[in-house]
Amino acid sequence: MATNTTQEQQPAAGRHQEVGHKSLLQSDALYQYILETSVYPMEPEPMKELRELTAKHPWNLMTTSADEGQFLNMLLKLINAKNTMEIGVYTGYSLLATALALPDDGKILAMDINRENYELGLPVIRKAGVAHKIEFKEGPAMPVLDKLVEDEKNHGSYDFIFVDADKDNYLNYHKRLIELVKVGGLIGYDNTLWNGSVVAPPDAPLRKYVRYYRDFVLELNKALAVDPRIEICMLPVGDGITLCRRVK
Amino acid sequence: MGPSPAFDQFGTSPTPDRGGKRSNLDFRLHITPLHFFFQLRFPIQRKLKLAQVHKQRKAKRKKLFISRVLAMATNTQEQQSQAGRHQEVGHKSLLQSDALYQYILETSVYPREPEPMKELRELTAKHPWNLMTTSADEGQFLNMLLKLINAKNTMEIGVYTGYSLLATALAIPDDGKILAMDVNRENYELGLPVIQKAGVAHKIDFKEGPALPVLDQLVEDEKNHGSFDFIFVDADKDNYLNYHKRLIELVKVGGLIGYDNTLWNGSVVAPPDAPLRKYVRYYRDFVMELNKALAVDPRIEICMLPVGDGITLCRRVK
Repeated sequence: MATNTTQEQQPAAGRHQEVGHKSLLQSDALYQYILETSVYPMEPEPMKELRELTAKHPWNLMTTSADEGQFLNMLLKLINAKNTMEIGVYTGYSLLATALALPDDGKILAMDINRENYELGLPVIRKAGVAHKIEFKEGPAMPVLDKLVEDEKNHGSYDFIFVDADKDNYLNYHKRLIELVKVGGLIGYDNTLWNGSVVAPPDAPLRKYVRYYRDFVLELNKALAVDPRIEICMLPVGDGITLCRRVK
Repeated sequence: MGPSPAFDQFGTSPTPDRGGKRSNLDFRLHITPLHFFFQLRFPIQRKLKLAQVHKQRKAKRKKLFISRVLAMATNTQEQQSQAGRHQEVGHKSLLQSDALYQYILETSVYPREPEPMKELRELTAKHPWNLMTTSADEGQFLNMLLKLINAKNTMEIGVYTGYSLLATALAIPDDGKILAMDVNRENYELGLPVIQKAGVAHKIDFKEGPALPVLDQLVEDEKNHGSFDFIFVDADKDNYLNYHKRLIELVKVGGLIGYDNTLWNGSVVAPPDAPLRKYVRYYRDFVMELNKALAVDPRIEICMLPVGDGITLCRRVK
């Protein structure tokens, strides 16, 4: 529903038809420049393949954009991540970016309510030789997190956690994830600039789902900013990622 | 050698701008008979003196050019600024709206900004060249990045009043080190008291002057190869590629080089007939050339982030 409305109402923007593009930048041209100068020439073959596969899917609005995938991949290498988690998978673009960045014995606990989409991208991930790092659990993430938190052993056991799921649950996830990520580790919350709608005037015409989730996003941003257990950084990559580094 | 008052006078007087290149034979306008005598008497010394004067004048012209360009840029910026509240120092809005940028600053940057950084930022805001400073969101990002990569030995080319330098110094451990270089010591000394008050000045080794000679010297000694965890370049764009040739040896494998201003105010995609400020147009070619070169350099993996005026992170892989 959201996708149909979006695609019909979007003006024809010339050649810019990037999958997952939500232009937070001053112009599509500038975003295109970044993609063509530094993302696409360097994009690993499996990621390119998965991106093109996802572009044909009706819900491709949900996917991680290529520049964001590149950033995540670099970030994970920089922090030498080994044990990670991902909430919200869709066809697995950011999951693949993560899997390619971890060492061979790295692990990713990946959760999504929809297994079909994941299985759409899985052949590409297998072909890339990194599927063995992934443990996929179908279903809502909350019960899984609650169970993990119950066991003290799991506290502080994750190097990196990426949350790209239902915005109305981010704060609930946060309460659990802050225990599970290690001190010095990183949680990344995706879509925290929510298509720029965080600053839209009250009477601006917004799509229903954008308006609905916007309040949750605004609330999340306020809460993260005052959480003393983390240091934060809001990056205007993709649809906005807030990086939260646990400090205590 | 024959000292002539003519040289001193031309070295310091504010002569009217003739545009274009000034001839270094202008000294002829103030020739005295004594001067003729010395010219004919000591031809070699005359040539050496001419060369020296030419070099001094070139340096002064460059300094004058830069300050004029910055003055022009700042004036234009003042003329164009809206009546709105957005007057951020160092803001070059790459985002879809100033409102969005302001939102990021107010939600997640300012509430978290360490007191010394706030102080330095406000101090810099009063400076006429404040266009050059690192923005607050970029400072926050650098600070987090350095902590994430556990950086200890870093370098910074281009300091100005030291905002990114302070962000770096606050992030690295107490025995961390920063080699900082800038052609202008005065601006650094403007911010130094704040850095000292923050208790991190001891980590900084400041060298005044152009960076290339320092880099060349470092590269000569094999010991320095791969010795830096992080290098931040925020300086003269027409030299970035020259810096890169040296820095790629000095940064460790797995380490990071950050090149600032690589989206150059969004002008990298401006149509050929777009009205651009002179200095923006001048440096744009260098920026675009840099971006192309970094994208195909097999020794690094890159990521262009639209933070500040665009930072390209380059992780050395071999």
